[in-house]
Amino acid sequence: MQNLVALISGAILPVLFILALAYGLFRRVNVYDAFTEGAAEGLPVLLRVLPYLAGMLMAIRVLRESGLLNALTNLSAPLLSGVGIDANLLPLILLRPLSGSGSMAIVKELMSTFGADSLVSYTAGILMGSSETIFYEAALYFGSIGITKTRYTIPVALISSLVGVIAGVLVANLTY
Amino acid sequence: MAIIWSAMLISGLLTLLLRFGGDAAMDALLLGAAEAVTLSLELAGAYLVFMGLTGIVKRAGLMEQLTKKLSRVTGALFPNAPQAAASITMTFAANMLGMGNAATPFGLAAMQDLQKNNPDPRTATNEMCTFLAINSSCLQIIPTGLIALRQAAGSASPAAIVLPCLAASAASTIVAVMLCKILSR
Repeated sequence: MQNLVALISGAILPVLFILALAYGLFRRVNVYDAFTEGAAEGLPVLLRVLPYLAGMLMAIRVLRESGLLNALTNLSAPLLSGVGIDANLLPLILLRPLSGSGSMAIVKELMSTFGADSLVSYTAGILMGSSETIFYEAALYFGSIGITKTRYTIPVALISSLVGVIAGVLVANLTY
Repeated sequence: MAIIWSAMLISGLLTLLLRFGGDAAMDALLLGAAEAVTLSLELAGAYLVFMGLTGIVKRAGLMEQLTKKLSRVTGALFPNAPQAAASITMTFAANMLGMGNAATPFGLAAMQDLQKNNPDPRTATNEMCTFLAINSSCLQIIPTGLIALRQAAGSASPAAIVLPCLAASAASTIVAVMLCKILSR
């Protein structure tokens, strides 16, 4: 089933392209000109996004390399294991809103350390698959239109993410 | 954002300086910004392709028809932003299908549309906050990347996480929508 989904989502853009080109030619549109003109409209957006991405990725890297996340993990470990959350999941939970690739690396590591079908790896997979890289997305999306006052977006995203984590851990324990 | 961002930098930089010294702090700053350049180049490819396709669709006259049909879907969630309803629908659809980074151009287009009605261009509107909060709660229906990862790691049933992921995602999305409804008043 998932192969079918992967197949479809991979084919969508190429198929759309074929259809658009065919329809455009049928309507006697200079499709080459239309493409380049449209693509050119995207350039200012890309330039506008760069400083926002730079600021956010810089801050994330500084935070990660300082080791503060590790310190935070060690501090909250006793608290969270009391609530039923495996301490090994903490680095993942803390890093997830900050870095997608870093989080994937943690999931891989958990799988190779504890086995792909251990409760920890199972839970990690669920947490990873039901969350997004909040800070990166906020910087990217808001940055693309030059917005710096993001109001309640990030707090809401973080709270709903936390709810997702709790739900994920609960479901994982129930269905393991 | 300003508070969160500067808190990250101040705490991170101070810790780096005290633990590893100035060079490490400088490296983190410079390499972090360099990552942004690499990432922008990757995004640029997908974005240029998308914008080019949109250009063709627009000039061929398909845009208006598409827009009308798509805006009916999410119009209810975003009543004050009819001009962005179509692009919001496409973004959600792309994310649900798991297009990942390829879905970003749709989201950027939606933000542009949402910005059109914005009385204060540097401040996020309620619709923008809601849109991003929903996007950030993960809409992907089938987490194909994770299933592949589990399969590669030797799991007995790689796709076992699908329904649990849906449940957790649904929980976070519902909370996001509820909170945004409350805060939009």
